[in-house]
Amino acid sequence: MILRIDRRLFQNVDWLLLGAAVALVGLGMLSMWSLAHGGASPTIVWRQLWWVGAGTVALVVVASLDYRSLVRAAPGLYLAGLGLLLTVFVLGRTVSGARRWIHLGPLTFQPSELFKLIFVLTLVWALTSRWARPLSRSTLAWTLLLVAVPFVLVVRQPDLGTALVLLPVLAVILVGVGVRLRILGGLALAAMAVMPLAWLALKEYQRERLLVYIDPFRDPLGTAYNVIQAKIAIGSGQLLGKGVSGATQSRLAFLPERHTDFIFAVFAEMWGFVGCLVLILAYGLLVLRGFEIAATAREPRGRLVALGVTALFATQTLINLGMVTGLLPVVGIPLPFMSYGGSSMVVSLMGLGLLLSVRMRQFQ
Amino acid sequence: MELTATPRGRRDAWTRRVLGLTAIVAVAFVCVIGQLWYLQVLEGAKLRDLSDRNRIRVRPVAAPRGILYDRNGLALVDNRPAFTLSLIPRDMEDRDNVLARLAVLLRIPLPELQEALARVPADSLQPVRVRRGLSLEDVAKVEEWKLELPGVVVEVEPQRVYPTSSFAAHLLGYVREVSEDQARQGRYRRGDMVGQTGLERLLDEYLRGRDGGERIEVDALGRPVQVMRRDEPRPGGQVVTTVDRRVQEAAERAMAGRAGAVVVMDPRTGDILALTSNPAFELDRFTGNLGREAWAALMRDPAHPMLNRALQSQYAPGSVFKMVVAAAGLQERSLTPMDRTYCNGEFHLGAWTFKDWLQGGHGHVDLRAAIVRSCNVFFYQAGLKVGPEAIARYARAFGLGAPTGVDLSGEKPGLVPSPDWKRQRLGRPWTGGETVNVSIGQGQLLVTPIQVARMMSAFANGGVLWKPRLVQRVERADGTLAYSEPTRMTGQVDLSPAVWAFLRHAMAGVVSGGTGQAARIPGIEIAGKTGTAQSVSHSDSAKGQDHAWFASFAPVDDPEVVVVVLVERGGKGGQVAAPIARQIYQAIFLEKVAMAVTGGSS
Repeated sequence: MILRIDRRLFQNVDWLLLGAAVALVGLGMLSMWSLAHGGASPTIVWRQLWWVGAGTVALVVVASLDYRSLVRAAPGLYLAGLGLLLTVFVLGRTVSGARRWIHLGPLTFQPSELFKLIFVLTLVWALTSRWARPLSRSTLAWTLLLVAVPFVLVVRQPDLGTALVLLPVLAVILVGVGVRLRILGGLALAAMAVMPLAWLALKEYQRERLLVYIDPFRDPLGTAYNVIQAKIAIGSGQLLGKGVSGATQSRLAFLPERHTDFIFAVFAEMWGFVGCLVLILAYGLLVLRGFEIAATAREPRGRLVALGVTALFATQTLINLGMVTGLLPVVGIPLPFMSYGGSSMVVSLMGLGLLLSVRMRQFQ
Repeated sequence: MELTATPRGRRDAWTRRVLGLTAIVAVAFVCVIGQLWYLQVLEGAKLRDLSDRNRIRVRPVAAPRGILYDRNGLALVDNRPAFTLSLIPRDMEDRDNVLARLAVLLRIPLPELQEALARVPADSLQPVRVRRGLSLEDVAKVEEWKLELPGVVVEVEPQRVYPTSSFAAHLLGYVREVSEDQARQGRYRRGDMVGQTGLERLLDEYLRGRDGGERIEVDALGRPVQVMRRDEPRPGGQVVTTVDRRVQEAAERAMAGRAGAVVVMDPRTGDILALTSNPAFELDRFTGNLGREAWAALMRDPAHPMLNRALQSQYAPGSVFKMVVAAAGLQERSLTPMDRTYCNGEFHLGAWTFKDWLQGGHGHVDLRAAIVRSCNVFFYQAGLKVGPEAIARYARAFGLGAPTGVDLSGEKPGLVPSPDWKRQRLGRPWTGGETVNVSIGQGQLLVTPIQVARMMSAFANGGVLWKPRLVQRVERADGTLAYSEPTRMTGQVDLSPAVWAFLRHAMAGVVSGGTGQAARIPGIEIAGKTGTAQSVSHSDSAKGQDHAWFASFAPVDDPEVVVVVLVERGGKGGQVAAPIARQIYQAIFLEKVAMAVTGGSS
């Protein structure tokens, strides 16, 4: 009996989705390996490999859980996530002030990364629970309040990038539950009205980044250095790329943050336009399958979970690619499945696990 | 209700919404592809040309290391600019020739240069520091030949400079280029200067600051054409220590030419005012290029200059320990101030004879006289009366046998032997002879000078054991507080007020008219106890010479300072250690001494 269920679950694994993700992880590792080949520390490859392993375990665990029980557990996860976000503040303060003769290793996990998934689950929980139906203005208000608290914490951290990812995800899920576009538009206008306030709350360097987006040559060797060097790296890849040994921009450290947020520029320099097309194809496939899973799910929680996670992937990917190619201002967002960084990798793979979980159970 | 009413309609609405979102995402992806087409295909040739001519270099600018101050705001160390010879591998066309020329020009062994470059990739842009502390003459030579030396640059970096080359060496610790092991751990970059011992190591994270950087445009030879942007380095934090530079200097002067240690402590707070260990090493030898042989020679030196004798060496306390026996006996009522004995210079226990240091003995002595004149025979008997368990218990209460917790590495715990300890460690029963030995601070008993300073502080302040404090606070470069250390009590010895008073009075007698007279200074009442400890030595040359102790505090009525002096193989405590303590007290109470002298003459 149990075996049969297991087999059915297994049959419904979305191999195309999984394949796209595996390809992306592979391309990311390849880029890092070629950086290491050019003289960067090879330890990043091993560390990243370790994180991929950990993330795979997390993926299998999440996929084998019923997403519905995860949605039910959302309030608990929400509180735990909130606790983690607060810990960052508390620790952040004690680290510089208190006795710290013994060197502690660097904090390796970012709670704000993990909170992206909790954010989706919390939204789904709030909008699909029995008390939330039929959807009313007060439910909407409560839900917005619920997600506003962690949002403010993330902004204050300050992790502007993560906060900016959460907003489109919120919008997509609200569209998903059928909130009228007119109401959404009203919310967006309200958000715009608060913008000048937000500008005041921004840190000096964050404002500078936004201004540089408007005028990249404002300070060609200051904040815009990243953008210009990344553009040179990508463009110099031309149609077919320079290969591993020819990628001077990346290997000679002209490219900042080259194994984290700007990994795409490394890839683009080495493999050119053709390579980039392959890469974007893989991301497109990933997102398309995600939407497909959302569209074909039969039950509201599954639909919204799949929609939310897919929106998360799509937003992060597009903002990162847009920022590295100079279409968007520079905000610190890693490229899912490819950037160096344990939290981002593990959380991306967990999100993939959620998608698989929805898919595997849609025929139950 | 809504759900059941229009199942088909809802499903269609859902699909429509997802399709709409998919379309938006698809458009966004197409935009990215369009931008890539623009950059890589339309602008590709131009950008590739730019990447080939990319001649912008990023070069680190070393942050000045934080300064250590004494308690009165006097600097204990400072920085001065120094020249560093660096190589930029990528700019070194014809590397072998350049290295060969450089080796001849500056008389640096060629293998040393090759070795430095072997660890980094040949196309690295990061400067590799090969020699620090270049002389002006060498700098001029490099400048003169710069056209023949592509990739060779001279950088200016702040470097540590000390008042005198071995000033407070063990306390401050030395700063040295990061070792290969440390670099591999990933916390430091190659070429970083890191505090390796003492306070420099303890506070390294605060002191190091954060390096800045420069973006420079370079010509085809890799020579800077212009600085395009400079991120200023963030200087390290300023450390306010508990040390009093005047006292530290006085202690070092007084100990000149001797081997041993001095600890000066404030019994009201546990603050370390001075800490010396002799022989010391020269701090500034480490900031330049200390060759491998020089390093090995330093390590092999039979005088062990790297050893911090104030806390890493253990000695028998000798007669200083009599204060513990007296405290234990009086508090446990196995001794009274009225006890009297006749000392004829010898004491017999079974078949054994224990001698007094004074041939012929001290005659009739009571407890006070036994302390003042340091009579061994009285304490042989007293020790047997008090018993080894009580002695050990009180010794531990006074902080012996356990590290003081001072924030310097390698502190030794010392050893307090007891019957239980001996049974467990050696499996043999305790003997009366051992009690007799321990009573005068000999036998297995071992202490460090800093433990004795903490113990003396307890005698001075009525029983409080402080954690020795070295650092008051660390301020960031902008003046805000980064760290502050409170005074910390780590134990309390409970004796009745009458016992404390008696012991302090007896110790005052040691200096005013006993074995410690050599420490006497008119105008300041000092209390102390001398000790002469048999050394357990391996080296034959110094055999038979005893370690000289003097542990003391002043003023007796309201103690402000504890001075502990240990002179290795110095001889008698009263003759060797006490005069050293006297010199230190003179420096501390300079004004008071001057007043007493002028007051007396007018």
